[in-house]
Amino acid sequence: MVRTLAELQPVSLSTQSITAIRTGTWKYVEPLYLDKLPPCSHLCPAGNDISKFLSLTAQGDIESAARLIRSGNPLPATLGRVCPHPCESQCNRVQMGGAIAIHMMERFLGDESLGEKFVPSPAASAGKRVAVIGAGPAGLAAAYNLALQGHAVQVFDDKAAPGGYLRTGIPDYRLPREVLDREIDLIRAMGVAFKSNFRVGRDAAFAELRQQFDAIVLAIGFHRNRALDVPGENNPGVYNGVQLLERILSGGRPDGIRRPAIVGGGNTAMDAARSLLRTGATPIVVYRRTRAEMPAIPAEVDEAVAEGIPFHFLTAPVRVVIEDGRVTGLSCIRMTLGDPDSSGRRRPLPVAGSEHVVPCDSVVTAIGETTDLDDFPEELREGWRIAGDERLATSLPGVFGAGDAIDGGGTVTAAVGCGRRVADVVNAFLVGHDLPVRAPRVTDLWRRGLDRDHVSYFDQLNTAYLRPELRPEIVELPPAGRTGSFAEVVQSFTSPAALAEARRCFVCGTCNECHNCYYFCPDVAIHKRRGELGFDIDSDHCKGCGVCVEECPRDAMVLVEVGR
Amino acid sequence: MKRVLKGNSAVAEGVRLARAQVICAYPITPQTSIIEDLAVMVSSGALPAKFIKVESEHSAMAGCISAASTGARTFTATSSQGLALMHELIHWAAGARLPVILANVNRSLAPGWSIWTDQNDTLSQRDTGWMQVYCQSSQEVIDSVIQAYKVSERLLLPTMVILDAFFLSHTHEIVDVPDQEIVDRFLPPINIPFRLDPAKPAALGNLLYPDLYMEFRRKMDLAHEDALNVWEDVGREWAGLTGRSYGLVETYRCDDAEMVFFTAATAASTARVAVDELRERGVPVGLVRLRVFRPFPAALLQNLLSGRRKVVVLDRNCSYGHHGIFHQELKSALYDLPQDKRPHVSGVIAGLGGRDITVDDIKEMMTLAWDGKLGASSWWHVLPVGEEEPAAAK
Repeated sequence: MVRTLAELQPVSLSTQSITAIRTGTWKYVEPLYLDKLPPCSHLCPAGNDISKFLSLTAQGDIESAARLIRSGNPLPATLGRVCPHPCESQCNRVQMGGAIAIHMMERFLGDESLGEKFVPSPAASAGKRVAVIGAGPAGLAAAYNLALQGHAVQVFDDKAAPGGYLRTGIPDYRLPREVLDREIDLIRAMGVAFKSNFRVGRDAAFAELRQQFDAIVLAIGFHRNRALDVPGENNPGVYNGVQLLERILSGGRPDGIRRPAIVGGGNTAMDAARSLLRTGATPIVVYRRTRAEMPAIPAEVDEAVAEGIPFHFLTAPVRVVIEDGRVTGLSCIRMTLGDPDSSGRRRPLPVAGSEHVVPCDSVVTAIGETTDLDDFPEELREGWRIAGDERLATSLPGVFGAGDAIDGGGTVTAAVGCGRRVADVVNAFLVGHDLPVRAPRVTDLWRRGLDRDHVSYFDQLNTAYLRPELRPEIVELPPAGRTGSFAEVVQSFTSPAALAEARRCFVCGTCNECHNCYYFCPDVAIHKRRGELGFDIDSDHCKGCGVCVEECPRDAMVLVEVGR
Repeated sequence: MKRVLKGNSAVAEGVRLARAQVICAYPITPQTSIIEDLAVMVSSGALPAKFIKVESEHSAMAGCISAASTGARTFTATSSQGLALMHELIHWAAGARLPVILANVNRSLAPGWSIWTDQNDTLSQRDTGWMQVYCQSSQEVIDSVIQAYKVSERLLLPTMVILDAFFLSHTHEIVDVPDQEIVDRFLPPINIPFRLDPAKPAALGNLLYPDLYMEFRRKMDLAHEDALNVWEDVGREWAGLTGRSYGLVETYRCDDAEMVFFTAATAASTARVAVDELRERGVPVGLVRLRVFRPFPAALLQNLLSGRRKVVVLDRNCSYGHHGIFHQELKSALYDLPQDKRPHVSGVIAGLGGRDITVDDIKEMMTLAWDGKLGASSWWHVLPVGEEEPAAAK
């Protein structure tokens, strides 16, 4: 005990622990760590846990990142190449140096994990047999995820090799065959059996398959070309875009196509035009609306333009001009754009008296595809699609649908996501659980129980802690040299480039242990978990001031009200 | 080395020579060029310190307090509204016994908006426990900054080194910038005994019950009492190294002076000329310039002014409702003198808001006082309006 002033130190200082004072009783709000969805994952049709795989990559753990991405998505190397990457459209990096090149990262991780050691181990056999009809992206994803859950999966497909449209419709310069083959090999390595050249109705009745299997997934895609519905369409020299593309991609080089007019503005039109260019032809594209309304992936249109393919916009065919049994031109009419139609795009309207002939020696129709359900029971058909409900189930017990044929998702990525979702529903059916009211959203597959309203958008980030950094350039073969072959146009990231790009990710909505909360807590009420990820909040001492939430750069915390 | 420096640059040079480790400041006219100079020194490596940019003066002082609590040598600078905004933490720095050094460029408080000099900003901080040194020249500024670190760190009391806006802050003079080697010999590395140390966890500034609060405050007051001697000791040591000596007060032609003119800061330079001119006319006047205002050198001033006939205090400040502040303080200190030794003390308030105080103004003040025309209250020297008569003349 101090008795004199001289004995008293000048500074008041206490070495007593203050933890006896339960300042936590003062609060009416308290912070909570909440893994929210980054905009990228929120928008990923395939259900990739994007910020997590980027985060692992940034830490240099490429193997874990690749395993994570392959934990439900069997085709990352493929999707990284062909996906139009909606994830990047709302990446919070857009305002600060450009979106993360997520598709390049998916591609990189996919390419890094093409060996058999990356095949996940399936669950113990559940003794159930599933037939997947269609070996396209939806069927492959469904088969992969069902096999993972311990089911015996047999995939049937009417082509010579599995892959569906990935093989027959996407040219090598976008997706090298070797990449597709190796990803399918990994699915095979998981125990999925493939039967090619097998067509339902020709090689077995649908009813037989239903007897042989406990469940069936119909993933038959869109392979039937839509008709132009103009005179002359059935003449030689007028080609079905889907079939022509399939022929070219399997090595065929159709004769007599020197100056083709490709009709349409979607991916098939772009793929057909660019593939024909690579066979030595001089294609032109005829599209009834403008560049802005084209449904094709914008990057593909850019590449076609870069390769010098001319576009005739606001031009619709009215007749194929035939002379001496040969195509000599496409008679067209000029269009103008009116009010928006049901697709939200402005409706093209013909301009009277504007008919003219576009000279060509062949016509390729690529105005869209639809489902071929001729060999399936009537009750499975509903217009262009498989008749199914929100659970992706049909009216026939044990028969489910996936991919374009049921949801018209329109991209490989949506098909993969749908395949993952249907696998969850089919598994519930097979193990005797009640079917869910609807198929899970893709992000539900890896973030169960998350409040789906929480997406961490840019204005929720604390940009005081985030620096602008430029998106790297993505290297392409120069247009002049690439059109002579089907060599891949877009070049892969090197490992250092991929690591640097992963480090640009803000990891929106998820704690990455930046420790800001820990540093800023004025009550020392935030404690690092020992030996595991994350922090604990000492509720006895947290006063609910909210500084941690405010200073969290990445919106990984929220304040919630507590009872007083 | 002799250099031509303005007052603000002299502050920065002093801080550099004192090897401040953490500078935490927010810009405000007319102080800004101090921290601009320091920022350049820090970024160029001339001063190996951490320069912390903040969003307000309150945070600037909080930054200094935090840094000083870990044992760092700290500096900040401000003026006027900025100092007022710091006020809460000004108390804290003193109560926590942290030897923070603050340069304040005296600037009038708004409204009306003003960037020019008067002393109400620093005098509003009179009772916070900080020491205050009012400087008269750029040379005194650089020397006082260096001395302040030594005095403050010995006593664990913070110091404000104060200079007039523009008259000193932005006026260039020849300054002898001491060699680093001399300053290093004078000022050892900082060593604060009570500081935050993760190895010895402790709460600083903890809850104090009524049985102890007063004791800590008495310790602070005792430190101020010690400070009077420490400033003189440190001043002598500095004089030994540099030949330049500053006491708690400076006197000019006081030996035989029957009347003493009392003021602080740059007005004293002007007053010196007025003293010379009145001496030529036979008025026995001298000058006392107050340098260290806190602690207040009451005993020294009693000795110095005992037996004089008149003292006239020039205040560039006002405690509204009761006199200029130096006037109050001096009058109160002299009351302890025996009645026959107690001079008549009158006061003049002048130069607020940066208005010039000329030699003629001061001569007028001195003449009015000598002729018995100034009363005991402070007279507002309102020129050129000039309507207000000295109270004694009415």
